[in-house]
Amino acid sequence: MIELNGIAKTYTQPDGKSVNALIDVSLQIDDGEFVAIVGTSGSGKSTLMNILGLLDVPSAGSYRLRGQDTAGLAAGAQAQWRNKQIGFVFQTFHLLPRTSALENVELPLLYSDRSSIRGLGRKALESVGLGDRISHRPSELSGGQQQRVAIARALVNEPDLLLADEPTGNLDRQSANEVMAIFQGLNRSGRTIVLVTHDAEIANHCQRIARMERGRIVADARVTEPKIALQEAQ
Amino acid sequence: MNKMRLISHSAGMMGRHKLRTGFMMIGSFIGVAALTLVVSVGLAAERELLKLAHQMFGESSLMIIDGGGHMMGGPRNPGTRLKIDDLEAIAKQVPEVESWDPQQGLTTSVRRGDLADTAQVLGESDRSEHVWGRSAVQGAYFDDAAVKSSERVALIGQTVVNQLFGNEEPMGAEIQIGSVPFRVVGILEPWGTDPHGMDRDNEIVVPISTLMRRLTNADTITGAKLLVAPSAQEDQMVKPIETILRERHGLAANQPNDFSILTASEVRKVMAAIKRILSLYLPMVAAISLLAGGIVSASLMVASVNERAGEIGLRRAVGARTGDIRLQFLIETAATTVAGGVAGILLGYVLARMGATKMHLGPVAPWSAALLGILASFVVGLAAGLLPARRAARMSPVDALR
Repeated sequence: MIELNGIAKTYTQPDGKSVNALIDVSLQIDDGEFVAIVGTSGSGKSTLMNILGLLDVPSAGSYRLRGQDTAGLAAGAQAQWRNKQIGFVFQTFHLLPRTSALENVELPLLYSDRSSIRGLGRKALESVGLGDRISHRPSELSGGQQQRVAIARALVNEPDLLLADEPTGNLDRQSANEVMAIFQGLNRSGRTIVLVTHDAEIANHCQRIARMERGRIVADARVTEPKIALQEAQ
Repeated sequence: MNKMRLISHSAGMMGRHKLRTGFMMIGSFIGVAALTLVVSVGLAAERELLKLAHQMFGESSLMIIDGGGHMMGGPRNPGTRLKIDDLEAIAKQVPEVESWDPQQGLTTSVRRGDLADTAQVLGESDRSEHVWGRSAVQGAYFDDAAVKSSERVALIGQTVVNQLFGNEEPMGAEIQIGSVPFRVVGILEPWGTDPHGMDRDNEIVVPISTLMRRLTNADTITGAKLLVAPSAQEDQMVKPIETILRERHGLAANQPNDFSILTASEVRKVMAAIKRILSLYLPMVAAISLLAGGIVSASLMVASVNERAGEIGLRRAVGARTGDIRLQFLIETAATTVAGGVAGILLGYVLARMGATKMHLGPVAPWSAALLGILASFVVGLAAGLLPARRAARMSPVDALR
């Protein structure tokens, strides 16, 4: 699914100094894997995530997604890939305020070339257990419910790859557990998931943990016995 | 197909941010209201001026007015030299003059029993109906014999009828103009209010000989209107008339005219100047206010783009292309300014109607002004949306999501 080879990312700060956010990162993630990328803040994990999600381009190295070299993709094609192949989940949910859960979930469909979008949003909301909240606005939902709306939004175009950047960072234990249960369920049904977190407890729900420090991957190991998050009744 | 989805989505988003949308609408609202107001009042004023010019001059005519100098601007020399004899001499010597009517007037009280009115009393000849084009809706104008014998007969306007007669029959009744009794022989065609606010139906027409002998006790007239042959060049007739009058008034070569000759072309010049103000300068002022409104919309939208960075980043993440983001912000700005513009048209129209009523301009036709307003607000909206839309589209998704 994902093949990173010698990826580097260098930022030039306003004062002229350059910062190496990523240094020689190589990583291979196969179809159906559930990988946690852990590290302290500033270790480069978010930058890596942005490159994986085609939101940012590496300064050096190659990134092959599903066998395709992404360096050759035009901006419009990248947008189409983000729309169809990749689902994003963020720490701060990024739901549009004053907008119903259903409309938030349908947002990616606005930018898709599907001819019929009827029922897709509702189906995605039902898959995260929010079928009874479709007309609620974000302000009327709990943090956990908001993040589940965001997950439904990531799923609505049925992508193979989910990228989650600290998805449980703003949630309490119970809500975090619910979110992880959803991710595990999605992984079981075949989706590849890459999850960034600084929380070892959360990372232990994944099958594999890559640890980053100062722009490099310093450890990459399988989790022998991943924790199972139980889907609890609401 | 999915562009339509995006457009209706963008429109829906604006309704959810009522305060922001409202503030953005205010700029074009005020600008378009001003534009609608001045354009529709301007058009009504122009139409009224044309009507007045037509009433004064008809197809081909000119006017001689006692006293020199210019009609518009500059002092006029006082003069009480113009006499009916002068006009008779002109009519005899200038073959293009087809007909003419002298005029003398005064404003005085008119009474019938206990009822009183203050009216404009005009002394005219039996040719008045033909020369001025104002007929009698009841009865008829006095004839040449009545003028010759200074008969005390009068035609009265509708306002005078209402003031003195109410529902009673005016024809044949006796009224007192000043202290002189007159017999009502006709009702004047309704003429409305002129741009000076004068009620032209509060007029009484009597034979000029009667007026001069009985009411003003003067042998001079204030002016005369001359009808000329349609083929005649009015401007070329000014010179011979001037020569005749100067000679008859005994003016030396270095003395200025003690009369004025007013032709339709001179009036057209004045009207062109007024029209320039009405159709160019006033709309320009309104356009500047619309421009200011557009700048307000643009700056609000730029602020909104910065504030909505997270939303823009998210849209990019879920597959929006830069063009989609640009389109959304363009639609939002254009739609708000057009909506504000439509509301502005309504306000401008209401104000224009109020103003036109106060200035006696008659009905205002809002359609051309409304069309202009919608067009202008659409253009301003698109222009105001360009900068924020560009800024939003260029925002890096990584920075926007941070």
